[in-house]
Amino acid sequence: MRNKIIFALILFKSISAFSASFLNNVKRDKWGDLEVVWIEDDKFPRYNAIIYFQDGALNEEFSGLTQASFEQMSSGTSKDSQEELAEYFDFYATKLRRAVTHEYSTYSIQGLTKDIVPVVTKVCEMFKDAQFPEVELKSYVSRSKNQIKSIVNSHSTLADRVFREVTLTGTPFAKSAEGTLESFDKLDSVKLKKRLNELNKARKVLYLSGPAEAYKLKEVISKNCPWSSEKSLKKIELTKPETQSAIYLVPVNGANQAQIRIGRYVTANEILGKNDSYGFLAGFLGGGFTSKLIQELRVKRGLTYSAGAYVSMQRDYGRAGIMTFSKTETTPEAITIVRDIFTDLSANKIDLQEFKHQQGHQIGSFAFAFEETNAFLTQIMIYDHQNRSLSELEKYPQIIAALTPEALSQASLEAFPWERLTIVVVGDKSLEKTLSRIRPVKILDYKKFL
Amino acid sequence: MRIWFLSFALLLGCSTVKETATLSKSINIDVEELKLENGLVALIVRNSKLPIFSIQTFYNVGSKNEVPGITGASHLLEHMMFKGAKKYGKNKIDFIIEGSGGSTNAYTTNDMTVYYENMPSSELEQILDIEADRMENLLLDNEDFNKERDVVLEERKMRYENSPKGQIYIEMMSAIFKGTPYGRSVIGEIQDIKNVSRDQMYQYFKRFYAPNNAKIILVGDIDITKAKDLIKEKFGKISSSPTVEKAHKELKESDFIPNWKESQIISRKGESPNPLFMLGFTTYKSGHPKGYGLDVLASIIGSGKSASLVKQYVLIEKPIASSIYASHQSLEKTGFFSVGGELIKGINLKEFRDDLVKKLISFCETEITAKNIQKVKNNYLALLYSGLDTNSGLAGFLGERQVVFGDWRFYKSELDIFDKVSEQEVKGLCRETFSRPSVLVSVWNKNK
Repeated sequence: MRNKIIFALILFKSISAFSASFLNNVKRDKWGDLEVVWIEDDKFPRYNAIIYFQDGALNEEFSGLTQASFEQMSSGTSKDSQEELAEYFDFYATKLRRAVTHEYSTYSIQGLTKDIVPVVTKVCEMFKDAQFPEVELKSYVSRSKNQIKSIVNSHSTLADRVFREVTLTGTPFAKSAEGTLESFDKLDSVKLKKRLNELNKARKVLYLSGPAEAYKLKEVISKNCPWSSEKSLKKIELTKPETQSAIYLVPVNGANQAQIRIGRYVTANEILGKNDSYGFLAGFLGGGFTSKLIQELRVKRGLTYSAGAYVSMQRDYGRAGIMTFSKTETTPEAITIVRDIFTDLSANKIDLQEFKHQQGHQIGSFAFAFEETNAFLTQIMIYDHQNRSLSELEKYPQIIAALTPEALSQASLEAFPWERLTIVVVGDKSLEKTLSRIRPVKILDYKKFL
Repeated sequence: MRIWFLSFALLLGCSTVKETATLSKSINIDVEELKLENGLVALIVRNSKLPIFSIQTFYNVGSKNEVPGITGASHLLEHMMFKGAKKYGKNKIDFIIEGSGGSTNAYTTNDMTVYYENMPSSELEQILDIEADRMENLLLDNEDFNKERDVVLEERKMRYENSPKGQIYIEMMSAIFKGTPYGRSVIGEIQDIKNVSRDQMYQYFKRFYAPNNAKIILVGDIDITKAKDLIKEKFGKISSSPTVEKAHKELKESDFIPNWKESQIISRKGESPNPLFMLGFTTYKSGHPKGYGLDVLASIIGSGKSASLVKQYVLIEKPIASSIYASHQSLEKTGFFSVGGELIKGINLKEFRDDLVKKLISFCETEITAKNIQKVKNNYLALLYSGLDTNSGLAGFLGERQVVFGDWRFYKSELDIFDKVSEQEVKGLCRETFSRPSVLVSVWNKNK
């Protein structure tokens, strides 16, 4: 084991060489108001275009409006019906995806390079002329509400949704970007058009990869897309969450297993300059089969099938979290073990071998970040959004190698202070009694989170 | 060295209906092969873009090989393969792989069990040594074995018992393949997971985990000569299984043909607040020429926003379903076609089922057009490129074909068949499939 770590450290120079060569392939340009990040990749005759909008759910009038604007753009323009648009994009094997976070949104287009001109021209038409017809909108609302009501079909998704809202209550990030039963009823064509118009005026960056001919998008976009960067974002007042360090139990019928979420809201100031040590902490806790959580919960005790950890940041806020599950009877034990892990980590009781092992893992796996161009492109977009330099990415192996057990302990103490962590459990009602031995239990009705 | 060469037959202009897609000419893969005397087959593809590689080890064993009493054995054994072997003892394997920057996992299906690792190039010898050690000398430690039963039982709860979508899939497989090995779930019955003995597992392991039942696929930054030498060195001395061939011969295709004749409607109580449904029809095994036409049919009626089912039931003024799909799943010995989704609250399931069957039959006349077939081919090409984008994706692509068809080159025949799929052929398959008896399974909290 020890030899492997030394070997990984010796590899620094070669790792730096290939990461530098990949980063050299990242070209930045400006097409009028549109900023462009371009990676030429001729492995296959296909392209990927991610349009980043510096505008997200924080700026919407009500929950789910931004997402609905993107989704319902394809419900019709003055030239094409919903059916015609669906037929068009499916025929050209085009995948259109949208993602709305609180701070930013993305709209991505993937397809075969030979079809890039007609496809992106059609996408621009939607941004310019989406009509959001009432009939199609009514249908969308009906389907979306039906799907939200079915969230109980996945206890894991339900746990994530409740955990998000509970840990962020009192902050502008608490409301779901996906919409709620109540907010879907507020959708109308006028509001959707207005929101799309705002997005058209938001600052945008195009992250593009593909063979050289994909670069001809420049002309297509300049000519057809109604995009500018004239809108400035309103300043968001960041407030602290109101959650208490209780256990929130969300009863679901017929569950013989409980989903467990443990964590808290993290502010930008807390994480400033510490992205990599927090990332290392998340890997140490929940990255892979040798992580602390998997070893303690699954390998040593057979309490769960999976466990994970994250310390994820947008630009102004983030969340630190643990996710796992266990059978009803062993749920309190699983939570207690997580608590003990944090207690030991915070007290700097860290096995040096385990620490070195995680360093070896994160340094050795660095090359995989460059294997898929699309994933690499997304990584660059996230760095840009967080105002981080790509040189940080290049230096990642060195940064990880320089970390100490004390830094890991400090990161754990800061990100996961046990007494300030919120615990959400989705499972059988009978858990109320056993969980109350750990902390006071508050019962939540999942229907209030839909 | 370039690994695969793409001839851009489709790059002459935009896709048009009249254009003939030549999928079979779109991809060529340069593969080095090695076959050892003990029966082990290895395929090696070099890609030196990054100092990494993927290795996938395919064993021709899955739930098809299990019998009542040991259901779930293939999957449980998959878990135990990470628990240690003679040279790489208890809990060592994961630590060695992940400690060098690699990652590992595995999956089990009805037909095969696959182990995969993504590794830095420097670890080639190490990973081959580990794979050889656990192929020959698995520990199956009793304490670990008992703990792992609990882990698998938790996995079962997560995937099936607490998931209406998992519940409906298990019910469908059980009904449509009733009385055949495919009717038994891959994860196994609870009692079998609890009761299967260490000795039973060891016998199962010795029978199926052997070089003459395995294929190793390596893709990435690898010196091919060195890789071949290492494979010979590490695996060449492992004995082949004297009983595995007999075990496969005993699985007669006729044993996989279900014998029910009448359509069935199965209602199961579950926690879903809206009715979930799955309608199934039996079809053909992997590699059967008709299977490719059925893949095209499934795409036309159930894939994308322009799919026939989506237009009929979802994107309408008063939607009947919030989601709907069609799928054709080819297994080694047989296959099935399914249509599934989630209904809007208040929709009568029985009336929906009658309407769905009528519509499926009407689609055979209205939806199978030259344009729709071309659309499927365009999408298949895009999907193929995505699937082959990583070392791991290419290794899986080659390995599946080597195991199921005995030759990785079979992908060329498959693409050739896709190229030739015609309107008349898909129409015929549509009529044939949807006039067969079917199984409808629903899961809903209002079911009794």
